[in-house]
This record gives sequence, structure tokens and C-alpha cells, in this order.
Amino acid sequence: MRVSLSTAQVEIGQRFAELVDDELIPSIRRMGELPRHGSAAEAAAEAVGAADARSAVWRALVDLGATRLLLPARFGGEDAGQQGAVVLAELLGTALYQGPLLDTMIAAELLAHSGDAEAKRIAEIAEGAAVPLAVRQSARDDHARPGPFEVSADGETIDATRRFVGFVPDGSYLLVVGGTMSGPRAALVPREHPSVSYRLHDEVGRGGLYALRLTGTPVLSWPDDPAGSSAAWPRVVAHARIRHAAYLIGLCQGALDLAVARSGSRHQFGEPICKFQAPAFRLAEIATQIEAARWLVRAAAWDADSGQDARLPAAQALALAADLAGATVLAAVQVHGAYGLTEDSDIQLYFRRAHIDRVWMGAPRNLRQEVLPLLAEALRARHRRPSPGGAQT
Amino acid sequence: MTIPKEESVDLRLTPDQEQFRHEVCGLLCEESVQAEAARAFRLPPNEEPGLLDVYRRLGERGWLAVNWPVEYGGLGKTLVEKAILTEEMIAHGVPELVHILSIDIVGLALSMFGTPDQKRRWLPRLASGEGAACVLLSEPDTGSDLSALATRAEPEGDGWRLRGRKMYNMKAHVADFGLCAARTTESDARYHGITVFIVPLRTPGVVIEPLWSMVDERFGDITLAGPLMTAADVLGDVDEGWHVLGQVLALERTGIELEAKGRRLLDALVAQASHDGTLADSPYGEHLVELDALVRAGQLLSWRALGTVADGAADTTLCAMAKWHVSETARSVAALSSDVCGLAAALSARDEDAPPGWVVESGYRDAPGFTLASGTSQMMLSLIASVALGLPT
Repeated sequence: MRVSLSTAQVEIGQRFAELVDDELIPSIRRMGELPRHGSAAEAAAEAVGAADARSAVWRALVDLGATRLLLPARFGGEDAGQQGAVVLAELLGTALYQGPLLDTMIAAELLAHSGDAEAKRIAEIAEGAAVPLAVRQSARDDHARPGPFEVSADGETIDATRRFVGFVPDGSYLLVVGGTMSGPRAALVPREHPSVSYRLHDEVGRGGLYALRLTGTPVLSWPDDPAGSSAAWPRVVAHARIRHAAYLIGLCQGALDLAVARSGSRHQFGEPICKFQAPAFRLAEIATQIEAARWLVRAAAWDADSGQDARLPAAQALALAADLAGATVLAAVQVHGAYGLTEDSDIQLYFRRAHIDRVWMGAPRNLRQEVLPLLAEALRARHRRPSPGGAQT
Repeated sequence: MTIPKEESVDLRLTPDQEQFRHEVCGLLCEESVQAEAARAFRLPPNEEPGLLDVYRRLGERGWLAVNWPVEYGGLGKTLVEKAILTEEMIAHGVPELVHILSIDIVGLALSMFGTPDQKRRWLPRLASGEGAACVLLSEPDTGSDLSALATRAEPEGDGWRLRGRKMYNMKAHVADFGLCAARTTESDARYHGITVFIVPLRTPGVVIEPLWSMVDERFGDITLAGPLMTAADVLGDVDEGWHVLGQVLALERTGIELEAKGRRLLDALVAQASHDGTLADSPYGEHLVELDALVRAGQLLSWRALGTVADGAADTTLCAMAKWHVSETARSVAALSSDVCGLAAALSARDEDAPPGWVVESGYRDAPGFTLASGTSQMMLSLIASVALGLPT
């Protein structure tokens, strides 16, 4: 058993590090932010600038192969698997990247389950067509429990209200997921259509979260929907949770890096505060917890790529990363002192975004409750092996 | 932190290693071995397992020190096979302390720093399971800051006489010899002037008294009243013992033993909650899912650290992270045991109402030692803060 990165993972890390390097990270961190201060004219100009910056980063990601990473080779993809995707997701989290890539990966994975029927749209995604996901009607819905929608009798149109949809204006399509009696269904719809309206939420992360209204919106396709629901959706969600967990690990790392730097430059009692054990030990604990959770996420990706049922490790990895993100940003702001509360300080960006990203794909307690039945099953499976562990229990 | 050489991440064992695990399990599952292990767990207070017959049987096959060269009683395999043996001994309830002290710590030190004569003299007996060794480092007033040790090696003729008192060591009463750190030279440089001696324990001038403790296995209280040491008894170079100790502690700090104990204890809690039907409704269910993730994450850290040691490039910071993580996690598991099991957690393995192979009560008493032995949690955090995070301490 060798716990280290594969050559392919190292290559992916190096490739995207070009974009997410130390010089660019500060601007990427703020690129998702929409201006909140200044005159209306200044705000409008800044909004255009922010959109331009997002667009440039998106183009660079596409050029480096981000949208091809997960796609199977038969669709011209890199087939890097979840193990490849988590390396990129971690880097994006470190830079606090805000954009439609992780949503688009979910859509691409679901579309790939439809096989050749979706080949044309998969090719568009590979070329850079973004697909934001619309899953929530209520604030407590999440990907595993999407909100309801209404489908016309002929299945040609849907009506839906969706909230907390990321980066709607950046999308070429929207993937609207709805809970039905027979299970979750996903409808691919156009983003630009008279039946689609949206408004920007005013929210803590100050990013691109939108409320969305679909009224008689034409459905372009129902991916992976042979019997009126998506059998692959739970698997797609498990994989998405692993990638989101990796994003959160990156977020933790980014916040820790800022806190470590600040602990060396902030002086109290004539010493940098990192000389005091209380803050130094807290940072050392967090660094260790991040390292452990990082490998748990990577191992979950390995499980998924090995064809194993990844629901338990995915939920465990996400819950751990999410709790860690909450704890890390709190500690990191504390280390910064009052400066950490100001707009000048980047740590407040991590603190803001962690509030959303921590529960984005399910709150930690809900995730753990969901997979509790799988825990005893995993124990039984371990003891059924020809080489039982813990045989005495 | 240095990243070990990049190879394909693979959380599976190789077929040969899987076969080794299978064969080890076959032996450890035998009725006679399980009966011996069960007897050891139910020994009356003030009695403890020493050299078990199962060690001899493992030794006959070259498995006990499987990573040692054939000439010293091993099979010339790697540390991975050694870690497999440790994990399985613990999983199967076979007392492992004598084994770990003799093979993983003392044997490793002799392998790395011993002269050919020293290796020939001491290693085969340890590998056969017919001899044992212990470590004599801590003193009444010296633990974490070992450089402050008071034991002196006073020059006499061509050799030295050892004078001092060693405490908090284990298994000295069954060991043939111990590795003893003593100051040979007074020095302004704290870490210079310490020498490691191989001290035969059945020697005039060495008095071993028991120091009873909370756990099933006693501490030794050893008085060194002037046993004569010669140059042939020095391990490594005179005055350079600090280097020897640093290398040897690295393997102990990979935490393989503690992650396996954390797993055994957690599996016992989950099995008990499943058995009495409380798992699904347990308010601690989510906590068990979380601890299961932490145990798994710690196992990954330990195996990652082990990989660096196996490659001959021990990453001491990574080892410190692994040791901190697995010991803190195992302690958390133990702390939850009475919440999950109720007062069944209080029953010793000797009580007729205790489930077979009940490790929960002894696990609770063992737990405080997890974060003290082999370097306290605070020492680990200090190392992580200074080396991994680059913070001045």
C-alpha cells in the first residue's frame, strides 16, 4: 500500500499550478466578488471587470483541459478519473476559485451516462460550455435531496423555482435536478430563453448565487433517464461530494497559509505571535488535520475509480473536510486579529465563502446520518474478508 | 515537508503482500493462538503477557522480523510486511507490546547502527521470538526533554560504569537487554555527549522493580548501580546517541500500532452498538461515522509516513503528524466508549458478563498513554509547527 500521488496526479497538479500560482491567487480569490461599494457607475464598471476576469480564468481552465479532465476518452476526454479531478479541485479551493467548473463536471458526468445520445453536448462542454446546476427549491435541499419540479404531460417543458444556483450568467445550459416519486430526474435546459429569469442573491459570500424561475422552459434532454429517473444520480452525487471535499481541503489550505504568514508578521508583547504556543499549536493541529483529510479525500477518489461503492467514503470525506473548513477559517481569522475583519484582509473572504461551501453538498451531520447504515455494513464486510481485521470483536 | 518519491497511489497490497497477510491471519486465527491471546487478555491484575508461544511460532517462519535479512532471522521483506504483521496482531487480539519493543524499536536500532558482531549476537534471538528487549530512556525527572537526562556513564578503564535510574519503560522484567541512553560527555551543546548502550539486564548492578500503573502492563523502575560497559556495548558512536534515538523514534512515530488499536476499539464499539440494536437510533451514530473517517484518515497518514521510512528517507514531520493524529483519534474513540456501550464499557475482559475478546475497558485505560508515549502530543505539535509550518519556537 503506497499512499502518495500517482504520476498522472502530479502532472495535473503541475499543469494547473500554472494558473493557480502564488501571484495569481490573490486576484482569483476576489474574482467571484461583485462590487458592493462606490457609485452605481463605478459598481457597473467593476461588475464588467469582474465578469471579464471570471471569463479569462474560465478560458484558461478550459485551455488547460479542466473541462476534459473527467470525460471518458471516447468523448475526447482525459479520463483522469476522480483521482485526477480532486487534484484540480484542491488547487481551486486554495485559490478560492468561484465559477461553474465543479457544477459543469457534475453535468458532464451525468451526460456521459447517457452515452452517445449526448455526445454533441459533451463535446460542447469539453470546448467550454458551462453548465450550472439548479437543485434547490428550499434552503435545506441539496444534491441528494433536490427540490421538486413540474414536468409537462409530454415531458417537453418544466416549471421550477430554484435558489442558490451558482454563476447562472456564465452557463450555456442549466441542469435542473428535481425530486420525483420515482427518484431524481435531471433536465438540461437552455440558459438563455424567455422562460428563464433570474436574480442575484444578496448573500454572505458575495459571489454569484442566483434565484431562478423557470416557467414552461423547454427541456433539451433528460440525461440518464430511461425509466423516468436517473439511476446514476446517487453515484454522480457521491463523486461530486469527493470533488467538493477536495475543494474544501484546498480552501482550508489557503486559509491556513494566510494564517501562518500572518502569525509571523503580527507582533504582540514584542514577539511575532507564532512564538507563542497557543496559536502555533493550533495551527500545527490544523495543518495535521488538513493533511489527514486530504488523503482521506484522495483515498475516496481512489475507491470511486476502483469501481467500489463510494457513498460511505465520499460522505465521510466531505463531512470531515466541511467540519475542518469551519474550524480552520474561525482559527485563521482569530490569528489575524482585528485586521482579519477588514475588507483589506483576504482571510475574511475564506470565512465568508466557508459558510456556504461547508454545507453546499449537504451539512456534515446530515451526511453522516445518511451513511450511518453503511457503517455497520462496512464493518461486517471487513470481517468477512479472508483476512479479518478485529476478529476478536 | 519533503514529498516522498512519486509512484502510483495504490491503496491495495501487492499480491505477495496480500498473500502474506492471508497467511499471517491463518496462523493468528488458529484456535491455540486465539486461546493464548484470550488468556493473556484475562490475566489477573499484576500479571501480564511476556514471551508468548505465538511469537515463537511467528519467529519459526521468519515472520516476526519479516523485514530483517535472512541471516538475522527474517525473510528480507520490507517494512510494509512488518506493518501488516503489526496490524494483524492487534486486529486479532494478540498482545503486541513485547514484539513492538523488541523488533520495531530495539531491533531497528541494532539493524541501523549495530556492528556486525552486535547484530549477530542480539538479532536472531529477537527474531525467533525467544528473546526480548526494551528501551531505557525516560527517568524520574526526564521525559520529553531527553537531553536533560541524569544517567551518567563514568569512565573506568577501557569502559564506563552506568549510574542512574530509568523509569516508565515497559517489559524490562522479561527483556534480555535494553537500549539505555546515558551522558558520556558534559557538553554545552545539549544534544551532544549522549551515548546509547546495549545493557544486558541480567547483570549485577541492574535492579528491576515494578512500578504498577493504570494499564495492564507495569512500568519498570530500573536502578543502574554501576554495571560495566565496554566499547562493544556502544550502539553507534560515543557521544552521538541523539542521532540514533532520532532515527529509531521515527518508525515508532509512524503510528501503525496506534492506528490499528484505534481501529480495533472503534470496530468493537460499532459491533456492540450493532449487536444491541442501538446503532441506528444512537445519538452517537454520527460521531461513530466521523471517528471511522478519522481512523481511516490516520491510517492513511501512518502508511504514508511508513512509506518514507521504507524508502530510507524518513520524513520526521510527517511521522509526527501521523503520531499526533492517530493517538488523538484513538483517545477520542476510547472517550466515547461509555456513551456508546453504557456501563458495559466498564467491564473488564475478565468479567463473566463481558463479551468475548472485550477490549473496550482496557482500551479506555490505555488511551491516556497513547498521547504520552513515544513523544507527547505537545512535542509532536512543536515539531510540526517548527518544521512543517516554519514557525520559530
